[in-house]
Amino acid sequence: MDKLKAIFPVVTDNYTLCDMPASEIEEDEFNAMVEFTETANIVVPIQNMIVNRTEDILRDKIVPQFWSFFKKNDFSRTGFQKFYNAVKYLHDSYTSFYHIYDRLLLFRKRTNLKKPIYEHTCPHSALRLILRAILFSYYYLEHDNIIKEFYEAALKMEDSEGDHHCIILEDNMDCNCLHSFNETNRKLGEMHLLEPLVGQDLTDVIYNYTHSHIQKICKDSFDTNYIWTLEKWLKNVVLNWLGKIYCHDTSPGDDPMLMFNNKLTNFLYNSYTKIRIDQLFNIIIEYPESLPALSDLRDALPKTDLKPLLTETLQKAMETRLLHPGVSTPDILTAYVAAIRSLKVLDSTGLLLETVTQPVHQYLRSREDTVRCVVSSLTEEGPNDLAYELVNGEAVRIDENTPTDDDDENWECWIPDPIDSAPSKSCAIRKTSDIISMLVNVYGSKELFVNEYRTLLADRLLSQYNCDTEKEIMYLELLKLRFGESQLHYCEVMLKDIANSKRINQYIKQDAEYRESDIPLNAMIVSAQFWPPFKEEKLELHNEVTEQIKKYTEAFETLKGSRTLCWKNHLGVVDIEIELAGRTTSYSVTPVQATVAMYFQDKGTWELEELSKVMQCPPTILRRKIGFWQSHGIIAETSSDVFSIQEDQENKDVNVQEDIFVEDYEAESAMASARDQREEELHTFWSYIVGMLMNLDTLPLERIHQMLKMFAFQGPTIECSIQELKVFLDRKVREHHLIYSNGYYKLPK
Amino acid sequence: MKVRIKNWTGVASWRWIANDDNCGICRMAFDGCCPDCKLPGDDCPLVWGQCSHCFHMHCIVKWLQSQTVNQQCPMCRQEWKFNNK
Ligand SMILES: [Zn+2]
Ligand SMILES: [Zn+2]
Ligand SMILES: [Zn+2]
Repeated sequence: MDKLKAIFPVVTDNYTLCDMPASEIEEDEFNAMVEFTETANIVVPIQNMIVNRTEDILRDKIVPQFWSFFKKNDFSRTGFQKFYNAVKYLHDSYTSFYHIYDRLLLFRKRTNLKKPIYEHTCPHSALRLILRAILFSYYYLEHDNIIKEFYEAALKMEDSEGDHHCIILEDNMDCNCLHSFNETNRKLGEMHLLEPLVGQDLTDVIYNYTHSHIQKICKDSFDTNYIWTLEKWLKNVVLNWLGKIYCHDTSPGDDPMLMFNNKLTNFLYNSYTKIRIDQLFNIIIEYPESLPALSDLRDALPKTDLKPLLTETLQKAMETRLLHPGVSTPDILTAYVAAIRSLKVLDSTGLLLETVTQPVHQYLRSREDTVRCVVSSLTEEGPNDLAYELVNGEAVRIDENTPTDDDDENWECWIPDPIDSAPSKSCAIRKTSDIISMLVNVYGSKELFVNEYRTLLADRLLSQYNCDTEKEIMYLELLKLRFGESQLHYCEVMLKDIANSKRINQYIKQDAEYRESDIPLNAMIVSAQFWPPFKEEKLELHNEVTEQIKKYTEAFETLKGSRTLCWKNHLGVVDIEIELAGRTTSYSVTPVQATVAMYFQDKGTWELEELSKVMQCPPTILRRKIGFWQSHGIIAETSSDVFSIQEDQENKDVNVQEDIFVEDYEAESAMASARDQREEELHTFWSYIVGMLMNLDTLPLERIHQMLKMFAFQGPTIECSIQELKVFLDRKVREHHLIYSNGYYKLPK
Repeated sequence: MKVRIKNWTGVASWRWIANDDNCGICRMAFDGCCPDCKLPGDDCPLVWGQCSHCFHMHCIVKWLQSQTVNQQCPMCRQEWKFNNK
């Protein structure tokens, strides 16, 4: 029995690890023990006893001791050291057992014992099974953090560039922490504990580390492709490091590296895609500089299942960043155009684009100035580059029956096509390839579009006599390709009018009968039927000008039999030069402003009322026009409603000929816009609304709309959608004519 | 103060001096053009009859061609004679 205790010291009651046999047992001693157990017929009980004792010792001593290394209140050591020590302790104990189990193996061979231990015929496998089982029956909660700390420190060190400077024990330059790290992993591998004990924590560490690495790299930088770099990093740094850990793993089963490779590559794509999805709005805004980020995202997206997230997130971002009153319509359009261009990169079917931009369409429709902004960006150079699109884009004829999405109010019910709908089919239906078509379809009516274009063109032509008609003709030709000849015929006549006017001016000036006084006159002669209606304003010009105009009209009547001219006195451009107190300055002004100056030349001081009568211009408007000359120091309001020329200029530079060309063409349309007309119509509702609110105190939008429908919308043209009404009411709120709170409108007290 | 007008560009619309706004044949504005034309004015002129009625030239010519027997003014049924005033 003593021999038995010597060979298998584990069976003694007070066995400690230090009792581990120091040297090999003599061969004959072992043989004697085998013989003894066989005769006594206690071979199986001996094995049972060894196993039982192993379990006891592990449970009572070693495992609790192992977990105690993780104790939170031990601040003297770093997580790295704690884990290193814990594994070292466990492995030392395991090694002691391992030697004993070597003997058990031999014992089983000699006694020809076949009875397995926990279904293992290999005693060492059984030992590891027992260790694992007991280890995890005492789960110590704090250990996760310490294990993570251990691996995180090592991964950071691996990823740091250049010198493998120790970051675990920073003060110690020749610390062999890397060695300790490898040693720990080797020990865990030997005990087959690598995956069970650290697998999950290690995965977490790597995920977190990878995620923050991607985040750091991709932060606000959209102009570089990263996917390939990241994949390389994952392979060279992370997987390579993992390989150094798992090369110690000797446990049977699937190759953990293969599993990690798949898992981490997936994670990389997911992580990258998520980060880019969060940034997508900014990426779109920065198009085309952000093309690399977009192409990365396009490649990564199919490897994930994040498409729905992308759609949802982007839609939300568009709503919070774009679709509110604080953003100007041109800015919304710029973003919208950028979105169209970017999303085409992401998804060529146009499905994504359609889904994401749906709310933008709806919102743009509720803005009054959308069409005007689209049209002006189409024919002017600006941040949208829509002019570029018009010139270089593939012309897609916008047909009257192009299916638009505005024919119903309940677009909320709109169901997106199934994701798997054949792309070719979607392409045929959608005209998303053409930005201009999309923009026109935002409004749903090409008529409205063309009308707005006509108004803009009219303004441009009238405010700049020498405007670049060749460019305008080119735009017109391009627009004709899209909108059709008939729609734009009016504009063609307008451009022709300008060309004809130039010819007529030249002709009349050469006419011997025609005498030009001090006022060189040119006329823009328009075919009124083809131009948008002009704003009507009364103005009596200075008689010098009136005289000249009369002469011009006579010359015209002679030139074109049976035809005459109706002058719009308030429209046009006047180049004027004013000499005052030795200073000469040039201005480009409106006829009203020029007339004011001419009257002040005749008489240095005017009462507002008096001049208003002479010029037939309402005093309020006239005051504003005089304001222009006030701002240039020509005229001053010397006493209330009395204006005088400022002869006594403080300027000392006498006799200086200055040629400041002051462009003051008020950015005001000469046309009565559709908006103005609509405004007037809506104002007829205002008294109804005030009446309602006086009687009923507070009302929600829908109710106001309903009541207007009942009482106010009587003429066939006077209809107003609920969105339009909202825009109108919201403006009243801004003007403090209404109060809006909790969805209810009321009158201010 | 001295004011010098370097250039005055005014805006005027042209119109036919006629005693009606619309052509009695096509009902279109005189200042517009007849249904067959695209451009008003020189390209689609007006003509007057001796009865003092006037029409788009293209309209009255078409009308007269359709009248096989008598060449009458469609407004007053008097014999149509161009008034070359
Ligand atoms: Zn006619
Ligand atoms: Zn004609
Ligand atoms: Zn007649």
